[in-house]
Amino acid sequence: MESLDTILCIAAAAALDVCIFVLLLTAYRERRSSKKTWHELSHDMVLTEQNVTYELGCDEVLIGRHASADIRLPDLSVSRYHAMLTVSNGIWTIHDMGSKSGLFVNGSMVREAVLHENDLITLGNRRLIFRKRRSERVR
Amino acid sequence: MYANPVAYVFSCIFVLIAHIAMLLNVYFNGNYTEVRDVAVLGAAVLILDISYFIVILLFKQTSYVLDFLLILVLNMSFIFQSCFGKVGFDVKHLITCIVCLASCKAGYILCRNHKLLQDKKPYIYGGVIFVMLIVFVFTSPEDMWIRIGSFAIQPSEFAKPLFILACATSIADQQKKHKILTFSVVYENLALLALTAIVCLIQVKSHDYGSLPTFLSIFAAGFLLRICYPKAKFSKKKLIGVIALVIVFVLIGLKYAPEYVQHRLHVDIWSDKTGDGYQQSQALIAIAKGGWFGVGPGKGFLSNVFAFENDIVFATISEEWGLIYALMAIFAILVMTSVPLVNPARSYYHGTISACVCAALIVQMALNIFGSCNLIPFTGVTIPFISAGGSSLMVSGFMVGMLMAAQSPSFKEPKHKKKEADVPTWRWQE
Repeated sequence: MESLDTILCIAAAAALDVCIFVLLLTAYRERRSSKKTWHELSHDMVLTEQNVTYELGCDEVLIGRHASADIRLPDLSVSRYHAMLTVSNGIWTIHDMGSKSGLFVNGSMVREAVLHENDLITLGNRRLIFRKRRSERVR
Repeated sequence: MYANPVAYVFSCIFVLIAHIAMLLNVYFNGNYTEVRDVAVLGAAVLILDISYFIVILLFKQTSYVLDFLLILVLNMSFIFQSCFGKVGFDVKHLITCIVCLASCKAGYILCRNHKLLQDKKPYIYGGVIFVMLIVFVFTSPEDMWIRIGSFAIQPSEFAKPLFILACATSIADQQKKHKILTFSVVYENLALLALTAIVCLIQVKSHDYGSLPTFLSIFAAGFLLRICYPKAKFSKKKLIGVIALVIVFVLIGLKYAPEYVQHRLHVDIWSDKTGDGYQQSQALIAIAKGGWFGVGPGKGFLSNVFAFENDIVFATISEEWGLIYALMAIFAILVMTSVPLVNPARSYYHGTISACVCAALIVQMALNIFGSCNLIPFTGVTIPFISAGGSSLMVSGFMVGMLMAAQSPSFKEPKHKKKEADVPTWRWQE
C-alpha cells in the first residue's frame, strides 16, 4: 500500500512537470506569434544601409555609436546616442538626441520628424533608408 | 483571434491533468472522513479551471501562457490550503483566489497602454505617498493590519504595484537630462530616490522588515535599468559601484540594527526550541519528516503551529506533499517570472515593469523559503500565490497582470490616418 502512495505522489509530481513543460512550449509558440503581431503593428518597417538591414524590434530604438545602442553605427561622425526612433499609434518618429553633427531627414535638418516609407535619414556620414521589410527573393 | 488554438487546447488539458493528479493523490493518500469532502474540493477546482479558461478568451491577448501558469499555481494553492490538517473545503482561500484572478485581469487592462501610464506618472508617485501615509498613520509596529469588520488588510502590500509603476521608465524619459554643476541629472531619478527613501523610512518605522527587502529589490531592478539603459547592457563600473554601495548600506544596517533585530539574527533555534526558535525548528523537523514524497495530504502535524498556512507554508507543503512537490510548486512560480525572458517586452517601459515584478516575486519567495529553512531570520513574508492572505494574493495577482500587459501591449492604430507625404525627389540607388 505504501508503494502505491509513493507511486501516486510521483505521478502527481510528474503530471505537474509535464504541464510546466507544455506551458513552456506554449510560451515559445506565442513568442513567434507575438513577433508577427509586432510586425503588423509597426507596419513591418526596417532601417537599411547599403547591404545591412536593421530590425526595429521595439517601440524605442536608439541609434548611435555607443556599444549599447540598439542600432550601432561605429563612425566618429555619429554621436554616442545620436537619434531615437519611436512608434506611437503605428507612426514612426525620429528624434535628435542632442547630437553634434545633427539629424537630417531627406536633406533637411530636423529635431523631430515623422517618418514615411523611403525617407533618407542622415546621421554624420552615415545614410539610412527607412522602408518596408522586403520578402525573400524567389530565385 | 488567438494565433495558437492548438497550444491553447493542450495547455488547458495539461493544467486539468496536473490538478486531477493532485486530487487523485488526495483521494488515495489524504486524511478525510467522507469521500464527499474530496468530491466537493475536486468539483470546485475543476469548475474554477474551466471557468477561467473560458473567461480569458474574452480578453484578446497575444499571449495566454501566464494565465495558464497563474490558474495552475492558484488551484494548487487552493488544494494545498484545503488539505492542511484535514481534507476540507477552504472557502475563504477560494474567494481570495477568485479575487486574485480578477485583480490580475485588472492589472492587465490598466497597464496595457504604457503611454497612458507614462502620462500619469505624477499620480502614481502621489498614490505611493498616499498609501505610505496610511501605513504611517493607521499601522503600528505591533499591528501592521487595518481591520474593517471581519476583514483585515495590509496596506503596505498595496504600495508594491504602485512602486513598481513608479520605478518603470522609458528611454525617452531618461533622455530628459539637466545639468547640475558638472553632472547630467534626470530629475525623475532624483524623485524616485526620494520616494524610495520615504518608503524605506516608513517601513523601518513600522518594523516591517519583511516588506523592506521587497521594496529595495524593486528599486534595485528599476534603478539598474535606468542607469544602464538601453538593452540592459550593464555598465560594469556603475554596476560595481552600486553593488559596493549596497554592501556598505547592508553592513551599516546590520551593525546599527535595533536590539530585537540583532536577537533575531543571532538566535539559535535548537537551543530555544520552545521560544523564539519554535516555528523554524518545527518547520525544519516537518520538512525532514515529510521527506521526498510527504506523509500525505492532511496528515501533517505542522498545521498545529502558528502561521502554518502563510509564514511557514513551504514547510507545511513539504511535510504533507513532499519536498519534490514543494520545489515543483516553487518552480512553477519561477517559470512565471521567466516568461518575460522567453518573450521579451516590446517597450522599454514594460521591460522595466517586468524586471521589477520578477524581482519582487523572487525576493518574496526567497525570504519565505530561506526563513523556513533557517538560512535567514524569520521575516513573515508570504510566498506569492501559495500562502493564504487576501492582500498578498490580490497584489500578487495584480503584479502578474502587469507581466501579462508586457506580453500583450497595446499599440493603438490612429483614428484618422495621416495623409501620405509626397514622394521625395531623390530615390535610393541600389
